[in-house]
Amino acid sequence: MKIIELKHVTRQYPDGFTALHDLNLSLESGKFYSLLGPSGSGKTTILRLIAGFDQPTQGEILFNGRKINDLPAAQRPLNTVFQNYALFPHLNVFENIAFGLKVKKVPADQIQVKVDRMLSLVRLEGFGQRSVQELSGGQQQRVAIARALVNQPKVLLLDESLSALDKKLRKTMQFELRSIQKQLGITFIFVTHDQEEALAMSDEIFVLNEGRLQQSGSPSAIYDEPVNEFVARFIGDSNLLMGHMIRDFEVEFDNHRFECADAGIKPGEQVQVLLRPEDLSLVAPQQGKIVVEVLSQLFLGDHYEIWAKDDAGFNWLIHTVEKAPTKRCGLHFAPDAIHVMRLGESESEFDQRLSQYEDNEK
Amino acid sequence: MKRIGRALYLILAFVLLYLPIVYLAYFSFSSGKDMVRFQHFSWVHYQVLWSDKELLAIFLQTIILAILSSLIATAIGTCGAWGIFRLRGYRRKTMLVLNNVLMVAPDVIIGASFLICFTALGIGLGFFSVLLSHIAFSIPIVVLMVLPRLQDLDLTLIDAAQDLGAGRGVIFNQIVLPEIMPGILSGLFMALTYSLDDFAVTFFVTGNGFKTLSVEIYSRARQGINLEINALSTVMLLVVMLLAGGYLFLTRQHELALGARS
Repeated sequence: MKIIELKHVTRQYPDGFTALHDLNLSLESGKFYSLLGPSGSGKTTILRLIAGFDQPTQGEILFNGRKINDLPAAQRPLNTVFQNYALFPHLNVFENIAFGLKVKKVPADQIQVKVDRMLSLVRLEGFGQRSVQELSGGQQQRVAIARALVNQPKVLLLDESLSALDKKLRKTMQFELRSIQKQLGITFIFVTHDQEEALAMSDEIFVLNEGRLQQSGSPSAIYDEPVNEFVARFIGDSNLLMGHMIRDFEVEFDNHRFECADAGIKPGEQVQVLLRPEDLSLVAPQQGKIVVEVLSQLFLGDHYEIWAKDDAGFNWLIHTVEKAPTKRCGLHFAPDAIHVMRLGESESEFDQRLSQYEDNEK
Repeated sequence: MKRIGRALYLILAFVLLYLPIVYLAYFSFSSGKDMVRFQHFSWVHYQVLWSDKELLAIFLQTIILAILSSLIATAIGTCGAWGIFRLRGYRRKTMLVLNNVLMVAPDVIIGASFLICFTALGIGLGFFSVLLSHIAFSIPIVVLMVLPRLQDLDLTLIDAAQDLGAGRGVIFNQIVLPEIMPGILSGLFMALTYSLDDFAVTFFVTGNGFKTLSVEIYSRARQGINLEINALSTVMLLVVMLLAGGYLFLTRQHELALGARS
């Protein structure tokens, strides 16, 4: 069931800056969504529009099929966890969490029960009377989550909510957020610029750039089949080369022809080719598809990061679990490791082409 | 050497500033009738002061006036600061300039203009006219004390309160007000001291029935030396020092709280 829909939403500021261009999103109930993009991509604007802190200049925002453009933030059945947590500094932990319930005039005995339940959900039992200022970053984060969830929102919005935490704590909170979401079964919309975070937590990711939706899909779909160079570069490391199609399932780049898994593109059309570093392996020179010379290798604990240069002058980034066998070696990759991208192809055109040639195969 | 010189300079400056006050207070304890020679220690002038029912009534009136005018000015000034804070661009600048002009304008001019205004409107001169003018000249200082605290206010707190379902009234009373309370208290203290020691404005707008201490002291001092005035001035000095101490204590407390926060 669709819980939130954005239809042709544009947000333009009085100074002429357009934060969002004709954006369409549709979110289903009970899933974990991420809005992923660099700063200035419009992801926080989307969140503020959904929360009701801002209004679109054009387009509609629907909640359960009902238009909510003009509904004040205070009346929307959703709550937000802010980037800096925005805990009320003069209230203690209990009073912070109880704030929304008190405003709604919930009886005191019920408030006590609900707040206690939330405190145990975020594992802060016994912290009720503490001042929020003496809590650590991670604890403040939990209070902010509890303060939002105690109102039993249909949707929880999280604005860069983990970015202020150190790496280890962030990982822990990622797990906890995900498990809270599964436990309560409500929709989470998580805004982040951290692609790893988005990949790890989401059911579905929306990749944004300069106020436009670039691609949406499951983490693996976006990682394995990015629709354009921006998505490819933004999510994960990549080797990107220009080339052209020879025919279906054959592409030429780097002065060689390779078998590939892509089709539905005119022969001779210029394309961009993506190879993920972990899909590449180093073998003996005569066994590889391309001969490369190793420039540097770094041991990063769980893998080696190797830079190697081929005869055409392209610098390859390779992630392997083993050291490069020799200075000159062969570069090997499977046909389906090659991902061919048409220049300027939109997400819908991409989906259409994909379904077309997949039908032909059958 | 340089440090000692600087310290000496400071001490000298403070001695010069405080000498007349100390001199005045010193003679309030003399049993004599003039300030030529200190006779011997006595409370006689304080006893006269205590039995001077007229002067005590004026003292009480002055304090009631100060409390009343500063409370009303603080309420109006706080709302005014909130209003200015919510303005943007040139409107905000204009309002701020208008506010600051009132701060720096000479008291004589303000007093004279109030006098003209009250006579034109047919408002009788007395307690009410003095109260109105004290409220009026205290508002700008309250605005100036409250506005910086509003500017330090984290606006996402307001977003957060809205998000949790709070309306405007709840946001102002439960989120904004506690956050800017230190500014409001400083404004209140400043308004209190402004009202207590104002002479020029009060002198213009006071009538037959109502006097404040500063006006009374002025008229008595013109009639010749009377050490009762010295005793009264010393009492007032103590009151003002207590107020200043209280203000200092409150701001210190707030700074400590801020320190704990960061």
